[in-house]
Amino acid sequence: MTQSLVQAIEGGAINTWVLSTYWLWPLLEIIHFIGLSLLLGSMLVVDLRLAGFLRQINIVSTHRLLPWATIGFVMNLASGFLFFFGDPGRYAINIGFQLKMILVLIAGLNVLVFALKINPVIGQWDPHGDTPALAKTVAWVSLAAWTGVLLLGRLIPYIGTG
Amino acid sequence: MPVFESLETSALAIWVGESLWGYPIMLGMHAIGLAIVVGIFVMLDLRMLRFIRGVSFNAFLSLFRLAWIGLVINALSGSALFTSQATTFVESAPFLIKISAVIVGVILGVLIQKRLKVRVADWDDSGTNIESSAKVLATLSLVCWIGAIFAGRLIAYL
Repeated sequence: MTQSLVQAIEGGAINTWVLSTYWLWPLLEIIHFIGLSLLLGSMLVVDLRLAGFLRQINIVSTHRLLPWATIGFVMNLASGFLFFFGDPGRYAINIGFQLKMILVLIAGLNVLVFALKINPVIGQWDPHGDTPALAKTVAWVSLAAWTGVLLLGRLIPYIGTG
Repeated sequence: MPVFESLETSALAIWVGESLWGYPIMLGMHAIGLAIVVGIFVMLDLRMLRFIRGVSFNAFLSLFRLAWIGLVINALSGSALFTSQATTFVESAPFLIKISAVIVGVILGVLIQKRLKVRVADWDDSGTNIESSAKVLATLSLVCWIGAIFAGRLIAYL
């Protein structure tokens, strides 16, 4: 499956564009790094509050940070997509990249738990108080998953290149 | 300069440059520190510039401690990475720009922290506007951290 995906991408329009535009790769890296700062910076504050710290923050007001997490994620999804299309053979077989994608998936499922189980009842909690066990679990899973994503992403050139 | 040549042949530089895990460990730590420092400062800057509203400034006083821990992680990992290619880095324009942006960013961070300590009660009162001198600090801080990322990424290319 991996092989046919790589073959379908290589030589295609996006693949050719990424490879033939010399300034694009460094620009994508810059976008990816700014995106990660937005995503991880906002998630750090939201998760610390969900974990029961930073109680000066009204827990409902952490919603105001989520658009910046989304902006960061979309920046990284778009730039990451182009990285993959630029060099599919290298990423597809890379264990670091594969684990990173699994962790992104786990982080995504974790967001789903937040949206379905926490978000609907968050308004009933003490806005400056401690948080329930489920909220703490979601917060620590999120922090662990995004830290793993960051580390694995940075180390793609060094680990599991097959 | 001889000092950079001797740095490059130090035991630390050899470990970072030639051992299997030295470079990836330092690079990984540098990425984590970056996310903490730039992440927290960008959120605070966006809050001061009112792109984010409603989140208590009071909480950022505690977050500063975490931001400075991130900075220490990056000063240490960055120094280790620097030794491994000291003679190349000191002649790299993007590297020098990055270091300048980080130093100015840190000075601005200290100024913002001092201002926040004094003004936090007023800024958290929704009726008060943040003074424009503070907004200038926040804007310059954003420019420095984004600039540091920009120049940092270009070290490998120019």
